[in-house]
Amino acid sequence: MTVRVRGATKSFGRTTALDSVDLDAGQGVTGLLGPNGAGKTTLLRIIATVLAPDRGTVRLLGRDPSRPDDRTRIRERLGYLPQDAGFHRGFTVFEFVDYVAILKQMTDRRARHDEVRRVIGLTGLASVSAKRIRALSGGMRRRVGLAQALLGDPELLVLDEPTVGLDPEQRLRFREMISHAGEGRTVVLSSHQTEDIAALCTRIAVFHQGRVRFTGTPNELTAQAAGRVWAGTQRSAAALAAWRTGDGVYRNVGDPPAGAELIPPTLEDAYLLLMGEPDLEVTHS
Amino acid sequence: MTVWHLDPEAIRRYAQGIAPPGLAASAEAHLMKCVTCRDAIASHVDTRRVEAIWHEVVDRVDAPRPSWPERMLARLGVGEATARLVAATPTLRGPWLLGIAGVLALSVWAAQVDERLLRMLLVAAPLGPLAGVAFAFAGGLDPTREIGLAAPYSGLRLLLIRTAAVLAVTVPIVAAAGLALPGSHWLAAAWLLPTAGLTCAALVLTARMTPVVAVGVVATAWVLVTTPTAMAGHLDVAFGVGAQIFWLAVAVGGGLWLAVTRNTVTIKLGRSG
Ligand SMILES: Nc1ncnc2c1ncn2[C@@H]1O[C@H](COP(=O)(O)OP(=O)(O)O)[C@@H](O)[C@H]1O
Ligand SMILES: [Mg+2]
Ligand SMILES: [Zn+2]
Repeated sequence: MTVRVRGATKSFGRTTALDSVDLDAGQGVTGLLGPNGAGKTTLLRIIATVLAPDRGTVRLLGRDPSRPDDRTRIRERLGYLPQDAGFHRGFTVFEFVDYVAILKQMTDRRARHDEVRRVIGLTGLASVSAKRIRALSGGMRRRVGLAQALLGDPELLVLDEPTVGLDPEQRLRFREMISHAGEGRTVVLSSHQTEDIAALCTRIAVFHQGRVRFTGTPNELTAQAAGRVWAGTQRSAAALAAWRTGDGVYRNVGDPPAGAELIPPTLEDAYLLLMGEPDLEVTHS
Repeated sequence: MTVWHLDPEAIRRYAQGIAPPGLAASAEAHLMKCVTCRDAIASHVDTRRVEAIWHEVVDRVDAPRPSWPERMLARLGVGEATARLVAATPTLRGPWLLGIAGVLALSVWAAQVDERLLRMLLVAAPLGPLAGVAFAFAGGLDPTREIGLAAPYSGLRLLLIRTAAVLAVTVPIVAAAGLALPGSHWLAAAWLLPTAGLTCAALVLTARMTPVVAVGVVATAWVLVTTPTAMAGHLDVAFGVGAQIFWLAVAVGGGLWLAVTRNTVTIKLGRSG
């Protein structure tokens, strides 16, 4: 396992952002799914060695991030896209990525520039390489964030809400880039969008109020909702959630009344059910 | 395709890396466009060297020219990587420096109105550079703080580079304000050693707390100790020879401590770094 978190707890003042969280992530894409404030960012910052948990143990790439030496070794093999990644807006794309490459201790200028060009190419930024970041659109800036995270071909890639603020087409491009990055590497990302998670992840951890409420594959999560989604001509009183779909049929999620017309569940249905049942905890290993 | 070509002598000297800069530059420009001369060069040197040269040419053309502050630093002998790190220091940006200069101009003007304010200016002088150091690491001002924290670059090195850069820029500004003051000129320099000492003390404290908190502690102590004596007119207590020697000792001691512990100490650049 590249990432192994046990009993991680972190509070900010009175807020318990993480409450005894376990997480394992190996090769492939692991997704943290949950509403805003669920604790995803806090856990990702811990995995990125930026934050230390109040309690619990963390092992990354076989090392212990609470030890300074280990921490540096981990950072050499880590790429991180923070949630609100900021930029030095006066830098050009090339200068900025090059700046992060310097922080990643790539000392040989030419080798470093080659690597900068490589990640700029990978993220489709070659044509704006000489543009100032302040002149770029939000989607382009997000790409710059991904480019810097890919520097040095890190074994562990931590991406916090990588697709937020992107239009549908950019979102698809991003999914492509991330799933490509997930080949032979460990990617841990967060999203509050079930489509992203369904499209990208080999494993999912669902967060709610600082706790992990489900871990398993996307199919296992979807299976949770089997027999609990039904169609009807109106909103059912028994439904935890219900909405009218495009064809005028109501989609009800919850405990179906007798004789209800059951329909195949989606990941989103299962997620809604999980959020609606605060005491449920499911772990697939 | 161009009509002229590099002469054989130029090609030989360029290939062996012994061409003077002017010739090398024009040869490079020409080689970018000319396959014939690139081939001619290839016959002069082994392919590895051709590749290296070609690579360098491409890099020069492709990598953007560094911005003027970075070029200036490079001229002063600062390495290109360090220059980039300095250029990314948030408190070296124009608005911040204008802010410091503005506050000082105001104080200088006020000091001419009321003589006590002159003493307060001396008390306040070290705070400008100190604040610059502190906020060079404040999360709100450094937009890439999170990325920096997750990178393997030594926190202490980064701290020292940025501190040196901030001092190099802010100290002259404050000094200029001091010189604009009425009264004795030794006073205009009396805050320099205290500033050095306070900065070193703050740097040492970053082994225990973040730069912002460390500077806060040091600055508060400074203000609390010096304000009453300065207001009472006893400038020699805080700025006399004895005080100057004391601050020199603090600066040297702090510097030595940082030098000795540089490989073992973990600087707290982040809240929980
Ligand atoms: N640096 C911080 N200071 C104070 N509270 C924080 C901080 N970071 C997170 N929190 C709180 O912790 C909880 C979890 O936040 P976060 O990890 O950002 O959730 P998510 O990423 O799932 O939206 C929230 O209630 C948030 O307000
Ligand atoms: Mg978040
Ligand atoms: Zn030619």
